[in-house]
Amino acid sequence: MSAIRLQNLVKRFGSFTALKTMDLDIGDGEFMALLGPSGCGKSTTMNMIAGMEEPSEGRILFGDRDMAGVAMGQRGVGFVFQNYAIFTHMTVRQNLAYGPRMHGKPKAEIDRRVASIADLLQLTPMLDRPARGLSVNILQRVAIGRSAILEPAIFLLDEPLSNVDAAFRAVMRTELKQLQREFRQTMVYVTHDQLEAMTMADRIAVMDHGVLQQVGTPLEVYNNPANVFVARFIGSPGMNLLPGKPSESDRGLVVDLGPLGATAPLPPSLAQALRRHSGDVLFGFRPEQASLEPAGPGITAPITIVERIGARTIVHLGDDETAMKVVVDNDVAADAGTSVVVVPRLDTVRIFDRATGTAIGGEHG
Amino acid sequence: MSVATVSQTAMAGQDTTARAGRDESARLGFRLTLPAQILVLFIAVFPLLMQLYISLTDWSPLSGRNWWMAWESWNSFYNYYDLMQDNRFWGALWRTFVVMIVCVPVEFLLGLGLATLFADDFRGKRVFYSILLMPMMVVPAVAGYMFFMLFQSGGPVNDVLSTLLGTRVAIAWLSDPTLALVAVMIADIWQWTPLMFLILLAGLVGVPQDQVRAATLLGAGPWQRFVTIVIPKMKTIIIIALAIRVIENFKIFDTLYIMTGGGPGVATETISVYIYKLTTQDLIWGYVAAIALAILLVLSVVTIWAMKRMAAAREVQA
Ligand SMILES: Nc1ncnc2c1ncn2[C@@H]1O[C@H](COP(=O)(O)OP(=O)(O)OP(=O)(O)O)[C@@H](O)[C@H]1O
Ligand SMILES: [Mg+2]
Repeated sequence: MSAIRLQNLVKRFGSFTALKTMDLDIGDGEFMALLGPSGCGKSTTMNMIAGMEEPSEGRILFGDRDMAGVAMGQRGVGFVFQNYAIFTHMTVRQNLAYGPRMHGKPKAEIDRRVASIADLLQLTPMLDRPARGLSVNILQRVAIGRSAILEPAIFLLDEPLSNVDAAFRAVMRTELKQLQREFRQTMVYVTHDQLEAMTMADRIAVMDHGVLQQVGTPLEVYNNPANVFVARFIGSPGMNLLPGKPSESDRGLVVDLGPLGATAPLPPSLAQALRRHSGDVLFGFRPEQASLEPAGPGITAPITIVERIGARTIVHLGDDETAMKVVVDNDVAADAGTSVVVVPRLDTVRIFDRATGTAIGGEHG
Repeated sequence: MSVATVSQTAMAGQDTTARAGRDESARLGFRLTLPAQILVLFIAVFPLLMQLYISLTDWSPLSGRNWWMAWESWNSFYNYYDLMQDNRFWGALWRTFVVMIVCVPVEFLLGLGLATLFADDFRGKRVFYSILLMPMMVVPAVAGYMFFMLFQSGGPVNDVLSTLLGTRVAIAWLSDPTLALVAVMIADIWQWTPLMFLILLAGLVGVPQDQVRAATLLGAGPWQRFVTIVIPKMKTIIIIALAIRVIENFKIFDTLYIMTGGGPGVATETISVYIYKLTTQDLIWGYVAAIALAILLVLSVVTIWAMKRMAAAREVQA
């Protein structure tokens, strides 16, 4: 009943198109993350689901019910704003009680609900404090509690953790996920932090410039990016993409990496798909899915920078077009200025059409 | 133990030094602002003391003596005693109060309603906006003359009423004790609702829209949003608007005096009109000074109350 379906959704602000024909099905009880860089239309999508903005084109359905013309107060969605929008002239208790009060619930029930939600979110000690002047970490929980108290079937959160500090963010990630497991709401979660999306969401919808790029589970999006944007955006650092040309050799079809003077082998399935394809490609592999060897077959490149970030080390190699990064354990020796051989793990190699940017082979033919 | 003692002593030492520094800078500040303080003293306090002095005498400009010689007719608190017994004064005060208690709430409600309308966009908004603000810019004396003409028994108000009712209406507005007061109130509301509107619109525009939207999403209807979010957020500005109008309305004079001259009889005689007549006709300035001081006291109380409420409202608001 509380599945969300977006059909051909378009939003224009004057002549500017903030959202271009979005199609997305969000299942009942699913945790969907909308992930994308700033300004890509995440908030716009959420605001339309909540009814704060009218779509320019297309439909929004909750279950089978078309939401066109249903006022935002009647949609029964919980919404946590990017800046929380806490009622600063009220106490924490009055904020939490606001929803039930507006729905005309009896006093006893309001008190009971406030007590239980405050308990759940550890707000009980500050119930009677004025909301004004509370720390962001607390405001954030009040914002969630104020919406959750109405037990909405659909819960929309617009970057709820972007303003809180890193330590608290980790705590809230776990708590939010637990909250959702417990109540089984359909949750749409906007973020530009891929770690949040990866750790919490059942599926991720990656967006860029108002266009939906890919929808899939965190692993699908990570392993099989549908295009160059997703490949670069997901993962930290993003996927390495080296320009190349398919070419036949005695090892079968390989990618000639031009300026690097190397040819890279391909897994059989990918080679098959690439045979049906002509033109330049981008040879992609994840920094975490390659190793550095002193010599032997692979891509030889000079090390430019070595970033030691604790448990792991990020090695930067090549420059400009041939720039790539490899993530290795911190005990691997690597010195700037020396040359090494990069060996991508064969089964993790991905190939993209250089002209269109879309993936070739794999799950995305 | 000894460490604590040492640090305490050190802190105490620092404290005295800091205090000495503060004293030093306070003295310098005092010296620098002294000329300005003397000026303020002269402008604000001197007239007040002069008034207090005269209010304790029977001095009149007719006496032919300079005001500082007023002690010759010293009567201590007799003027204030007189004031207590003066039925015309209490009547004027009462009428002033009635005008205020009717006009200010009506102006407030009209202003708030208009401001709510103007917070949204509609066609011709700017034109209506300009028209709406015009009464405020009319010179009060001109407004008084305008309403004097409008309320003549052969004037436009009666003409409109005649057309509406279908019979000849010839009400003598300004000669009827009750209707004259009504006419005066209408003129005041006409002229000062725009100011109320302007102040309240500024407050309304400042209400955080995301909180209003949050309330909507939590199921609040338009009226509930207005009462639980908009009004509390506007509290400070509402108090400012009300305080301005209460104080201004208490001093109502120019428009009213031109319309009715305080008449018929004393039917529209407010405090200001009464003082004006005492000053220019009766010329008993000692008594006038006593009234003026009494009113200053009342207005001060209102102002202090408003400022206290404002501080409290700001405490609660963001
Ligand atoms: N009311 C509006 N009028 C005009 N343009 C708008 C309006 N609202 C949003 N936009 C534009 O639409 C685009 C998408 O905005 P949106 O707020 O959806 O981005 P977002 O993905 O939520 O970004 P962020 O991560 O910064 O919150 C932006 O370029 C923004 O400038
Ligand atoms: Mg946003």
